Amino acid sequence: MTSHVVNESTVVLAIETSCDETAASVVMGGNDILSSIVSSQIEIHARFGGVVPEVASRAHLEALIPVVNAAITEAGILPSRVDVVAATAGPGLIGALLVGVSAAKSLALVWDKPFVGVNHLEAHLYAGLLDDPTLQFPLVVLLVSGGHTMIIEMRGHGDYVIMGRTIDDAAGEAYDKVARYLQLGYPGGPAIDKIAPDGNPHAVEFPRAMMHDGLDVSFSGLKTSVINYVKKNPGVANVDIAASFQAAVVDVLCAKTIKAAQKVGAKGIVLGGGVSANSLLRSEMTTRGAAAGFTVALPSRDMCTDNAAMIAAAAWHRLASDGPTSLSCGAYPNLKLDAVPR
Amino acid sequence: MILGIETSVDHVGVAVGDYRGIRAHSMLASDRRHAESLTPMIQFVLQQADATMADLSAIAVDVGPGLFTGMRVGIASAASLAWALELPVAPVCSLDALAMNAEWSDNVVAASLDARRGEVYWALYRMRGVGAEPLRLTEPVVSSPEDMAVHLADRGEDIMCVGTGFVRHAELFEDVPWALMAGEPHAFPTAQQVVVLASHRIAADDTVQAGDIAPMYLRAPDAEINWLTREATQ
Ligand SMILES: [Zn+2]
Repeated sequence: MTSHVVNESTVVLAIETSCDETAASVVMGGNDILSSIVSSQIEIHARFGGVVPEVASRAHLEALIPVVNAAITEAGILPSRVDVVAATAGPGLIGALLVGVSAAKSLALVWDKPFVGVNHLEAHLYAGLLDDPTLQFPLVVLLVSGGHTMIIEMRGHGDYVIMGRTIDDAAGEAYDKVARYLQLGYPGGPAIDKIAPDGNPHAVEFPRAMMHDGLDVSFSGLKTSVINYVKKNPGVANVDIAASFQAAVVDVLCAKTIKAAQKVGAKGIVLGGGVSANSLLRSEMTTRGAAAGFTVALPSRDMCTDNAAMIAAAAWHRLASDGPTSLSCGAYPNLKLDAVPR
Repeated sequence: MILGIETSVDHVGVAVGDYRGIRAHSMLASDRRHAESLTPMIQFVLQQADATMADLSAIAVDVGPGLFTGMRVGIASAASLAWALELPVAPVCSLDALAMNAEWSDNVVAASLDARRGEVYWALYRMRGVGAEPLRLTEPVVSSPEDMAVHLADRGEDIMCVGTGFVRHAELFEDVPWALMAGEPHAFPTAQQVVVLASHRIAADDTVQAGDIAPMYLRAPDAEINWLTREATQ
């Protein structure tokens, strides 16, 4: 580990291709976003009802150069101004990750600049800090997306403790499955979020699994009870089912996150990941967090979903603490939160 | 000078050279660790050739058909290099490069790569001499090896067979009199062949820009195939 000098004028070009967004961003000094381009594949995957890895990899390769080019152009810099090239190295879909890693390593080689392979989960934690640089450690971050549900204590840069996680489905996965069952379309999160305000959240009191045991969560049973309830009560309106399901998910996530924040004496609560764009989660966490005495930071929706600005921010910090990543870096589909790509 | 990248098979290869010949090359049986090996190999081969990025005039890359993930590693790298260096790209078909393993042959040459799942990619060629671009007699396709064998037998002439498609399905061609098997050592396309083929393209001004490299998949993703069948039967 050799640390590397980075400062407020260090320009990072980052590429993100871990799932279904092809993104590139130019960030200066770790938090000044000069450009953030995201090309979404949601429409491409919608007909399959979920992200198809081979379809995603093909789409990433197609979008790669236009997206990188747009990030440089929109930042208003010459490519020679780039000091560091970064890419998400994991976790994610291996074939998708390899597109971004290969591109970033090639650019680092051409420009003779350091390459940084970034942990996507760590980057999600930086999304909150990018939007609000005044946040103080320790922070408790609720990271909720299609692939992950974690409650993390962020003690400082690169210093994380996972306090709780899902023992089965990720929150976003539960949304997708319920939305598919109710035939609301894909992705499930926005589809349910859109109609839930028109329904009664108390129409059905769905179970809040593991509400009082520890900080882990479980959504598989909730999904099953929604499906069973609809089978037995076909007359109940979709809006009421959606509202009641969403109320149960948000109730559990808020309660556990606040409990975690109390446990470690957090200076704030931060949301991250695609599901944190959910309007009920945002409003409930704000109200209940404030009532418990916590500052709740809600990153903008653009920062919640996958983007490359958060990759650039994480790269800036990792370069300072651990130095560059080797050009023989590959992709790590199952990378853990505290693992640093080599 | 042209930088050639070959990652559409199990091997990773890099070469630099031009129409006069290859200056340096390297090859690794990568066990599908294409991305790990490729960037350091580009750096190494350039050093061996006593060249820098500034000496390059074009990027050549094998665009398949082949291993999807490997192809994309090569194409993403080639595209990024070409974009950053503002150089043209010569996309090369894996089967065209593979056919050059039999560039000395007077026979019709069948180039075939294992496509897994019981299928092969293949195309037929007529050679035009050492170092020359092979003439395609049929366009690259994916089919069962049995279908390929029927097509080859129908030609009623001796055929020089090169590539992993034949090595993998050797039993189909064992006692067939018209099949001349090139065998294991000539079963892969190489980065050197990619460079040689690219030099012809560049001379003919037949190149593309970094963002326009089209991979030759020849096979739709599984999900798409399932989806289309489902739509068709509904
Ligand atoms: Zn993510």
